[in-house]
Amino acid sequence: MLELIHVSKDYESPLDGQATHILRDVNLKVDSGRSLAIVGPSGSGKSTLLNIIGALDRPTSGEVRLDGEDLGHMTDAQLARIRNKRIGFVFQLHHLLPQCTVLENVLVPTLADPAGASREARDRAMTLLDRVSLADKVHHRPGELSGGQRQRVAVVRALINRPALLLADEPTGSLDKATASEIADLLVDLNRTEGTALIVVTHSGELAAHMERVRELIAGVLHSEAGL
Amino acid sequence: MRLFSLAIRSLLFYWRTTVGVILTVAVGTAVFTGALLVGDSVRYSLRRMVGVRLGRTQQALVPQNRFFRAALADELSQSLDGPVAPVLMLRALVSGGDGARRATDVQVLGVDDRFFAIGNAKPPRWNDGLAVNGPLAAKLGVKAGDDIVLRIAKPGIMPRDVPLSPDSDLSVAARRAVSAVLGPDDFGGFNLQANQVAPLNVFVPLSWLQRLAERPGQANMLLAAGDGLTAEQANQAIREHWQPGDAALEINRLETQGVAEIRSGRVFIEQPLADAAPTVAQQAFGVLTYFVNAIRLDEKATPYSIVSAIQKGATSLVPADMSDDEIVINAWLAEDLAAEIGDTVEISYYVIGPMRKLIEESRTFRVRAIVGIEGPAADPTLMPDYPGLADVDNCRNWKPGIPIDLGAIRDKDEKYWDDYRGTPKAFVTLQAGQSMWANRYGNLTMVRCPDSDPNDIAQRLTAGVDPAAVGLFFQGIRQRGLKAGAEGTDFGRLFLGLSMFLIMAAIVLVALVFVFGVERRTEQVGMLLAVGLTRRQVRGLLLAEGLLPCIDGVILGTILALLYTRLMILGLSTTWSSAVAGSAIRFHYTIATLITGAVVMYLITAASILLALRKQVSRPARELLAGQLRWQFFVTRFVHPGKVGFVVAVLCAIGAIVLAAAMGTGDASGMAGVFFGVGALLLIAGLGLCHGVLSFIAHSRKGAVSSLWGLAVRNTTRRTGRSLAVVILLAVGVFLVVAVGANRQDPMAGAGRRQSGTGGFTFYAESTVPLLHDLNSVEGLKAVGLDPNLAHTAEFIQMRIHEGDDASCFNLNRAQRPRLLGVSSLRLADLNAFSFAATLDEKPDISPWRLLVEPLDDDVVPAIADIATVTWALGKRIGDEVDYLDERGRPFRVRIVATLKNSILQGSLLIHEAHLAAKFPSEDGYRAFLIDARQDAAKAVESQLSNRLADYGVSLTPTVERLAAFSSVQNTYLTIFQMLGGLGLVVGSIGLALVVLRNVLDRRGELAMLRAVGFPKNTLSRMLRYEHWALLLAALVIGVFAALVAVMPALRAPGADVPGLSLALTVVAIAVSGMIWVALATHIALGGQMLDALRNE
Repeated sequence: MLELIHVSKDYESPLDGQATHILRDVNLKVDSGRSLAIVGPSGSGKSTLLNIIGALDRPTSGEVRLDGEDLGHMTDAQLARIRNKRIGFVFQLHHLLPQCTVLENVLVPTLADPAGASREARDRAMTLLDRVSLADKVHHRPGELSGGQRQRVAVVRALINRPALLLADEPTGSLDKATASEIADLLVDLNRTEGTALIVVTHSGELAAHMERVRELIAGVLHSEAGL
Repeated sequence: MRLFSLAIRSLLFYWRTTVGVILTVAVGTAVFTGALLVGDSVRYSLRRMVGVRLGRTQQALVPQNRFFRAALADELSQSLDGPVAPVLMLRALVSGGDGARRATDVQVLGVDDRFFAIGNAKPPRWNDGLAVNGPLAAKLGVKAGDDIVLRIAKPGIMPRDVPLSPDSDLSVAARRAVSAVLGPDDFGGFNLQANQVAPLNVFVPLSWLQRLAERPGQANMLLAAGDGLTAEQANQAIREHWQPGDAALEINRLETQGVAEIRSGRVFIEQPLADAAPTVAQQAFGVLTYFVNAIRLDEKATPYSIVSAIQKGATSLVPADMSDDEIVINAWLAEDLAAEIGDTVEISYYVIGPMRKLIEESRTFRVRAIVGIEGPAADPTLMPDYPGLADVDNCRNWKPGIPIDLGAIRDKDEKYWDDYRGTPKAFVTLQAGQSMWANRYGNLTMVRCPDSDPNDIAQRLTAGVDPAAVGLFFQGIRQRGLKAGAEGTDFGRLFLGLSMFLIMAAIVLVALVFVFGVERRTEQVGMLLAVGLTRRQVRGLLLAEGLLPCIDGVILGTILALLYTRLMILGLSTTWSSAVAGSAIRFHYTIATLITGAVVMYLITAASILLALRKQVSRPARELLAGQLRWQFFVTRFVHPGKVGFVVAVLCAIGAIVLAAAMGTGDASGMAGVFFGVGALLLIAGLGLCHGVLSFIAHSRKGAVSSLWGLAVRNTTRRTGRSLAVVILLAVGVFLVVAVGANRQDPMAGAGRRQSGTGGFTFYAESTVPLLHDLNSVEGLKAVGLDPNLAHTAEFIQMRIHEGDDASCFNLNRAQRPRLLGVSSLRLADLNAFSFAATLDEKPDISPWRLLVEPLDDDVVPAIADIATVTWALGKRIGDEVDYLDERGRPFRVRIVATLKNSILQGSLLIHEAHLAAKFPSEDGYRAFLIDARQDAAKAVESQLSNRLADYGVSLTPTVERLAAFSSVQNTYLTIFQMLGGLGLVVGSIGLALVVLRNVLDRRGELAMLRAVGFPKNTLSRMLRYEHWALLLAALVIGVFAALVAVMPALRAPGADVPGLSLALTVVAIAVSGMIWVALATHIALGGQMLDALRNE
């Protein structure tokens, strides 16, 4: 359902106009319901690759196809719709809204719909929160939760609109080992039960080991299955 | 949940930002709306003053120095079916019972109950006394029961400048007790002039004043009330009811002569009446009879005789074929001169020139006939009632208003007077007489209508003459007053201008507070974009978070505006009272103004938030998620950011140099403008340089930071745009406050020079009773009781006054018909007195004062006025015209042909004395004076004038004091600007504090790192303070330097009173305020557990 074809990404320095090659000729395929970990050293371009996959950035060259649709020809508004309906994001820093409750944070993606959160969305939110053992915290604010709880809320938020693809950028990077393991299990479990394709960018070998496949990105080049 | 509810949730959660936005919007709104409300309050006060001044008066009839039947008021009242009140108004000098305090130019109003009815007030109980108004009571320090002494300018039987008019008996005194002090609600503030400053009024019973002024049954003012009463309606009623007696005409039957005779109480019959007189009866003829000095034939001379000029063919005395150089003499004269038919006799007589200068002229005539003193030649009634002549039995008791050599009167002359009284000794044609003796008051002394009935004559006269031609016409005084108030000084705009920097600072602060709030939530914005909200939705969300508090801020600010306005009015009533000439301004607001202020400020702050938001949501979501919001400023692909700043700096510096070099040696005001431009360019250059330096340091790869101060400087470049915003705000504020504040005027400096605002004169004086004589002559000085030696120590420029609206900066109303000063301008031209701001007709060797001499047209009179009068009081420019009505109700225009720079003549239009006399012939004497006193004799001159001319009610003011009073208004406005500008800078300093807080919050992690590597908290604090003090210092240096250049002309100009100390203190206060805010913000920002920031969350 996701295909990257000869994707490259360069950034031009505003100071001297020199191009820096972040991604070089990346080719990638992920089918529905599958999981993939992308590992690599710092500065290898992992987050950039995830941003391109998640329609947060555009490649300098190459194609990104989601369910056969080329994202490169879409407008910003169309890409926003794609991100809203078909992609879910889990960030390293959860980016929960401190002014909103757990339930409201989970429903943030539904705000893109002018009608706001439907009853169905609310029911789904409660179900998912129950799945992640946060049903009793729905009216709490993020400041009242632990780091792991916040990240679980972020994961639920990412799944609220039943995306076809779930992207996670270092989802356990700021968590302790036990909590990180919980999140890793949660992601894998939801990948299986929701049927959502899952791509995780991580330094963590333990998290990468949970995924079906692992590929390594080194100096902008995506290598085939990494040996772990 | 919807986006709107998320916005509300965010507003409540980030309540500090929300409160910050609300408060700053409230401050801006309070100041903006408050300024508009000050305008409302002033306009309301002026409008209210019209009611206080005029009561219900719609139309007023105020003829110049004329008196008519008070009973005319009753007749008009019936016709108009509305109240009409007669008033006898005279000027007076008033002193307290002990004489310790006195007031000049007081209005004495002889009134009855009708006057107070028009004023919606109860008449006072006279109790054989009089009433004064509050301001006069305060000035004299009197209350009810105290005595006051009035010295009232007594109206002459004829205008004082009429030939043969007596120059004595000019005033009359009376002592009365004050029975009541009348406040504004008692109609005590009555005043026809549109001026918010209360006049000094005395109210007396009409009948009492009529007796005192020897004007029984007469008045000289009518006030007509009635809703919607127009001048046309009132004037139609006048036309229906006026009688010849109202124009000082008497029509009597002379049985002996068989004629009805028209003669005037003013001796000379005015031109319109004289022109109409021949039409009122068949064979009506005019007569002009004069008192001549002598009639001579060879060595013989007959002194002081009456000669009549009669229309040719009207009587046998002056046959139709008599020529203008012939004379018929009576037998007595023929015998006295031994004259025969055919002899040539010479008549010599006085005419009165300006300042009652007696000019003796003569003319020769050939004796055509000698007639006996019988029949028409024996008619003593041909002599008009010359005061001092007609009512005297003995020649030697004559006091005709011209000098008489009593020694020249012989016994036979005395006998002639006993036997024949004013019977003329000679007769000439009317044309000959008019060519000798006609003057601006008239060219006939009587009109005789053979075989006519006086009642018929009266009817035909009143039907054939427009009473307006003799000054009897109503004017729309209320409408004029309301117009003057509506067009008056726009205090709303004035205060907006004075507060502009404070408002701008508040708006900038709103944007800063809001943007900082958004920047704190950069990652949230990124997240919202990342989860699929469109930029438009996110921008809308943030906009709602910005605009909703603005509504609250505007509402709060509108409420605060009411308080702010009260504070401003309190200031105008106390410390800044000279800005409004001490007027009482009442607080007033209109809903429309409140709404306007709220809406305008809402739109402005909304626009500033919209502008600030533009860049926030335009960054890619991934950058926002990473917290990488970069506030770029003039960054282009190919140009180093710092270069833009340097380019701007260089270009502006070059521009400043070129402008300064091209300035030349223009006049001072032009140079001031250019220097201001130079200063502004240097300001921009300085700011550009600052930007360039910040960017250069930011991008510099060379060198390593090796000191705390160096690190602080490097840190200022972290957010160049933010740093620059603070520097711009503070530098512009300092520039404005210093540059404007330095433009004070010190009238004392250079005041002795002819070209200064004093004209080089020592005193300016005005009198209540007109002075008729030339004070530059020994005779004139003696005539008014001054020491003749004064001629060696003082010179007088004497000016006539035609009363009108005060067109100075003290009058908040727009002057509709400014006061006119009539001056013989040639002496001012010789002295080259005063300096001109502009003239219509610039000729290098010719003084603009000479422009006043020639009329521009029949209906256009040239005038010179102070530039402040023209620009601010009249709202006009050089070349513009002001409409007037002359004494006969005929319109004419006064054109401004030149303007004076900052002078003591502010408040009036100066025209040539001759033009004023032509348009208003009944204006007696001189009441305004410019006095040049020798420096060593100035005190003596002042003492003599004040003491010896006390009965004339002379009020003497040193010219520097008068100039200082005018300058105080402008200086007060500058003080207000400085204060409000200073407040704006305090607000700007708060902006600096916000920047500190924001910068520290942005860098909490790195500051925590510095702590972790061993920097003590004190050191961090010092670094942050240095960093922001550097910005403060840069702002002050740039602002002060540019301001000093801008005010260079003011610093060097004579008359400059640069308040160096107060400006220096202002700059120091700004610096100290900024330093304190920075220190406070640093302390707050560094509080808490900083090391926690080393963790991710």
